[in-house]
Amino acid sequence: MATLELRGLTKVFGATMAVEAFDLDVGDGELVCLLGPSGSGKSTVLRMIGGFETASSGAVLIDGQDVTRMPPERRPTSMMFQSHALWSHMNVAGNIGFGLKLRRLPRAEIARKVEEALTLVGLAGMGERRTDQLSGGQQQRVALARSLVLEPKILLLDEPFASLDQHLRERLREEVRDLQQRLGITMVFVTHGQDEALALADRIVVMRDGRVQQVDRPDRLYRHPETPFVAGFIGQMNLLQVTVAGGRIAHPAFDLDVTATDGPALLAVRPEALELIAGEGAGRLHRVTDFGSHAVTEIDLPGGERIKAMTPEVPAAPPGTPVTIKPLRAHLYRDDRVIWSSDAMSRTSTRAHAHG
Amino acid sequence: MSISVAQDRGRGQTGLLLVLLPVALVATLIIWPIVRAVMDTLIVTGPDGASLSFASYRFFFTDAHSMGNLRITIWTTAVSVSILMAIAIPIAIYLRFVTGRTAAVVQALAIFPLFVPSIILAYAFIRVLGPNGMVDLILGSFGLPRIRSPYLTPWGPVIGFVWDNLPLSVVILMAGLSNVTNNAVEAARDVGAGKFAILFHIILPRIWLSILVATSFVVLGLFSAFTFPYLLGPAAPEMMGPFMLRTFGDVMDPVQARTQAVITFLICAVFGWFYVRSIAKNRARREAA
Amino acid sequence: MRTSEPFRPDWIGLALVVTLSIVIIGPMLVVGLWAFAEQWRYPSLLPQQWGLRFWHQTLARPDVWTALRTSLQLSFVVTLISAAICLPAAYAFARMKFWGRDMFFLSFLSIQAFPRFGLLITIATIFLSLGLVGTFWGVAIIQLVNTLMFMIWIPTAAFQAIDRKLEEAARDVGAGPIRVFWSVTLPQALPAIVAAIMLTFVGTFYETEGAWLIGAPHVRTMPILMISFINNQLVIQLGAVLSVLLWVPSFIFLLAARRYLGPQGLGRGLGG
Repeated sequence: MATLELRGLTKVFGATMAVEAFDLDVGDGELVCLLGPSGSGKSTVLRMIGGFETASSGAVLIDGQDVTRMPPERRPTSMMFQSHALWSHMNVAGNIGFGLKLRRLPRAEIARKVEEALTLVGLAGMGERRTDQLSGGQQQRVALARSLVLEPKILLLDEPFASLDQHLRERLREEVRDLQQRLGITMVFVTHGQDEALALADRIVVMRDGRVQQVDRPDRLYRHPETPFVAGFIGQMNLLQVTVAGGRIAHPAFDLDVTATDGPALLAVRPEALELIAGEGAGRLHRVTDFGSHAVTEIDLPGGERIKAMTPEVPAAPPGTPVTIKPLRAHLYRDDRVIWSSDAMSRTSTRAHAHG
Repeated sequence: MSISVAQDRGRGQTGLLLVLLPVALVATLIIWPIVRAVMDTLIVTGPDGASLSFASYRFFFTDAHSMGNLRITIWTTAVSVSILMAIAIPIAIYLRFVTGRTAAVVQALAIFPLFVPSIILAYAFIRVLGPNGMVDLILGSFGLPRIRSPYLTPWGPVIGFVWDNLPLSVVILMAGLSNVTNNAVEAARDVGAGKFAILFHIILPRIWLSILVATSFVVLGLFSAFTFPYLLGPAAPEMMGPFMLRTFGDVMDPVQARTQAVITFLICAVFGWFYVRSIAKNRARREAA
Repeated sequence: MRTSEPFRPDWIGLALVVTLSIVIIGPMLVVGLWAFAEQWRYPSLLPQQWGLRFWHQTLARPDVWTALRTSLQLSFVVTLISAAICLPAAYAFARMKFWGRDMFFLSFLSIQAFPRFGLLITIATIFLSLGLVGTFWGVAIIQLVNTLMFMIWIPTAAFQAIDRKLEEAARDVGAGPIRVFWSVTLPQALPAIVAAIMLTFVGTFYETEGAWLIGAPHVRTMPILMISFINNQLVIQLGAVLSVLLWVPSFIFLLAARRYLGPQGLGRGLGG
């Protein structure tokens, strides 16, 4: 149960800036996801919180106490590693109880706490197993129990489920979420999977090249991406180079009124926010894919771009049919920042689903 | 693997044919001589036919000279292995956990003796640590007294062995240490383990087998060592290598020489068995992977 | 992922570098000094007179040339025979299935499982009765035994490491089995095979025990000549010059090993 503050956290490796001036406040009992492509610096941030990397500058505060220079063994954090990092020469109970043993707890108490932790992760009675006799999911559960048994103030998870299959990953994700809510533990979770972040997090930090792109709630992140990178990274997005002139975007395939100064800009429209009118227009229907629950139509625009539209119905038009597109909701970016957003999206009541 | 059975059968004959020669060499030049050595030292052909006799072994174990040689061999082995591990383990651990230019230089230096023939090392040893050697020269230039030279004392071969076996010990230990992942060490730090706790609870348990392999390798080498004890060690007592050679060549007593050989086999059997087992296991594991 | 800070000086490493340099490189430098010292009397720290006089003296000795010729002949013959019989066997072990394959393969370990000198003694006593003691071929055969393990194990591992799909792809585009072996399999395994051959050659060149046991006194190789130089203490410099000369093959091997065989590979090969 703790708060975490990161102040201007920076990490330089040789000549490369891995993390640059990273600020973040994590509230008590909050689950924050660090999301970004590989090399975005998200793992480095996590490792600086855990004490495995020393910050080049900046500070890490846990419950207001500065732990920036503290080695990992003295920090009230606990890390769950991607490769579970179980010690294969110890059995399950040995792995979980190792930290307690180092703290010189009485044997009986270690045994009791280990069994408690095992029960918590659904592995009751498996303490005597060897770690290589466990399945991948069970190994991750043991790693989780090993972290939880020391009652850390903050639990750090570094892509813990990356090596598991989709089905197992979703189940463990739910279990972690349940545990987190039951124990009220503060968590920082690193992932490169947007589904995972959207499903787990109270708030998501999107990172790119060592810098924060946006910090927001999952629903806001999807509907109000503040940078073109976030727009393109979370869910699917059509991105079009357009020119604003006199409060309008004049595109051969559509017209759109916007509130922005004249000049070139980047328009972002989600596939589900595009209305299609078949029969006339500058667009040409290229292909329709029927996914059952919805259909995705690809349209070639006169400028050579190809965009996607998602509709509940399968359009009954053959390839080559002229189409008109009508953006219902859109965002406009210039110089890497959002300069205009249509209001329509705030009215959307159902949570749109991201498709990776 | 997806080879058809028919193909297998056709290749079976060819395969056997291809391995025939080297296998025959092993059989005639390794297995057969050992069997012969054991048999000939145990069976004495007298006027009334062949009979089992432990006479040559009884001689060895009651002969003060032979026993002295065996004792000095065991002493040299124990001391060399201890010193070697005390040096090689820290270097291997250092090389496992530190990267960078300094570490690369350390690795190159630690591997270097592998490329120095032991005969050259023996010569260098005499020029450096022998009487009026380089160490004496340097001490003398500071007005310090000469060292008590280890040349022609039991310590001579020990120093030679440690120098000569450092690379392979480091290399074997490093291979073992590569099984210790960074995450495993970090996870231990995370739950509160300090440097010593990591060493004793995480690292040593994982490289225990590699230490045994390296030890076996060195022990097998020491029991058959010839160059260092012959050139650097004392004439009496001498280690088993020169002793066997003298018994065979100078004393012209092949039966006793074979007895001595069989005795070294027996003493090293545990290490040999362990060494072979671990290599075979490694191989099986890699094939399975 | 790196765990060390790039700018913190590596004190342990520097201490190791200094110590190892003194202990490992130092003695070699002393040998080098002696090879070029015409006069070096106690207690001078450095030679009083430098020169190549003892190089001329060493190279003028017929026993040096005889020993060098013997050593090179032995190394070539042993390596050639070893490669000729072991490489096909290694391929068979890696790629074919036949009766007793695993048992035969592991049988080569028996060479490593016994103290070698004891083995040599048992072989020597048999050679004694065969009249092979003191002959070139007696030495060659005993040295051949030493090379079997590496010459089988390293290439076998190399052949096994080649992805079968590479060979299958070649078959797929129409190459016959022999063509596949020649154009795909062999080039892929070549670095390891070269390493094994180098190891065999250099190992045989420096082999001392077997040569001494079987060859003495008629067959004298370079290491045996060197032993007699050291023991008889003729002129100190002769040993030094011979050491420098002797080290040349080893140095070439060092360069080759760096290229073809990493330290990890070597450690694995030795069972670490």
